[in-house]
Amino acid sequence: MLAIAQGELIQIFRNRLVLVTMLVMPAAASAFYMYVQDRIPFLDVGGVAAVLVFLVVVMGLYTTAVTTLASRRQNLFLKRLRSTAVDDGRILTGLLLPVTAITVVQVTVILAVLSVVASPPAHALLLGAAVLATVVMMTGLALATAGVTNSPEHAQVTTLPVLLGVLAVSGWVGFTGTEELTVLKRALPGGAAAELVVDAWNGGAPVADSLLLLAPTVAWVVVAVALAVRIFRWEPRR
Amino acid sequence: MRLPREGGCGCTGRMATAPVIDVRDLNVKYGDFHAVKDLSFQVERGELYALLGTNGAGKTSTLETVEGHRPATSGAVRVFGRDPRDRREVRPRVGTMLQESGFSPDLTVRESVRLIGSLTGRTDRVERLLGVVGLAHKAGTRVSQLSGGEKRRLDFATAVYGTPELVFLDEPTTGLDIQSRDALWDAVDRLREEGATVVLTTHYLEEAQQRADRIGLMHRGTLRREGTVSELTRALPATIRFSPPAGAPDLPLPAVPEGGGTFLVETPALQKDLHVLLDWARDHGVELRDLQAGPTRLDDVFRALDGE
Repeated sequence: MLAIAQGELIQIFRNRLVLVTMLVMPAAASAFYMYVQDRIPFLDVGGVAAVLVFLVVVMGLYTTAVTTLASRRQNLFLKRLRSTAVDDGRILTGLLLPVTAITVVQVTVILAVLSVVASPPAHALLLGAAVLATVVMMTGLALATAGVTNSPEHAQVTTLPVLLGVLAVSGWVGFTGTEELTVLKRALPGGAAAELVVDAWNGGAPVADSLLLLAPTVAWVVVAVALAVRIFRWEPRR
Repeated sequence: MRLPREGGCGCTGRMATAPVIDVRDLNVKYGDFHAVKDLSFQVERGELYALLGTNGAGKTSTLETVEGHRPATSGAVRVFGRDPRDRREVRPRVGTMLQESGFSPDLTVRESVRLIGSLTGRTDRVERLLGVVGLAHKAGTRVSQLSGGEKRRLDFATAVYGTPELVFLDEPTTGLDIQSRDALWDAVDRLREEGATVVLTTHYLEEAQQRADRIGLMHRGTLRREGTVSELTRALPATIRFSPPAGAPDLPLPAVPEGGGTFLVETPALQKDLHVLLDWARDHGVELRDLQAGPTRLDDVFRALDGE
């Protein structure tokens, strides 16, 4: 598993396109938001944090994971890995470990910078739980999306619905909060997690209420994994 | 030339009698398409078994099921007495050369061998393997820069990493030049000296004819023939080909003109009929140009399948 992860890490750093979409794009977008964060109306620091977390996790982790899995399947690398003694779970874990780890580090660095240039989060642990739940949800959605993605080029199309949808939902929650249309906003993928990030950063909401916000995200994880089990493929269609 | 096998597999008693691969009544279906029908065969320890077939015969489906890449629709497949899909138990004893390479283009040759090799659960030295397949000078080259033949050799290196007990070679020599081909077969011979069992598929029938202990011939999803090369070719008549000079007296045997002045004699009694022909030629002072005589080639066994 670690050998697979090490191989993936080498490949990420050798592939400029992946490196740019993974590292530069989210970092550039984050820098922009931080630069203008105190000038955007209706957006408090918690809202900025939510927007940034989702930018990095969706653009970095989700699209890279889908593209990587489609590419590894297309050139039969997945089949090759399955001809060894390693089981499927470890293969997928090994493949997704580096991109996930890089994303977690990125989010940590960006939020640390935000807490310095603006204000620090009220509940760091709760914030960590929110980020972790988001990462797990997007990894599950990436596995499911990879099932309907035939090639890395195809990923540019197949990732769009989730990419735009989740970014829109998290942005909607970040900018407008959840006082109106509460149930809808929390039920949509990313909505509850974005609210949790806002609450964890700004404080003021009871922790028990905030923890309940993990439930919709966990439900989306279950949905994503169930979809992935049904539609993930290890070999290209013939 | 194939090296003589020294002392077979060196195994005795009960172990020697258990087949390495045991396939019984295997069926593989894709929707309505019945790719493999009631297939049964065994491969014994130390054997080189060639699974051959016409296009679409069900070879790949069979091989992928035995390798553990595909579930059987029905029937029993056992490798070392276990379900081949039990990767943790079976794969450390098995090396697989896939038909299509499946390496990551951004990894180097050395990294690819090290990665895939380490995942087999066996141990070996990467540099030794690169030497065996003649890729030592390409160790630092990315897979995307390799030629087709070099990728096949890389594939072979990962298959034989750690000297597995069973090796699947799926079209191993496609795209290889003659030197690489010889080097690959030398490496296979060395594996066999250590007792390895080999399952081979190839489109180069002469390779199978020269090297296989036994051959299974598949056609339209079933096993049509199985046996040693000699058993398979014996079932068909032997052939004599020659070109008599113009104006030669009547031939002593029924012969079919093949065009270009060449005649073909098909005979179940090669030695006797060859004698008759040579005696006739000597008695009449006739020179038989381009004279060839021999058992049926595997190609002809293949061609005969279609007529069935």
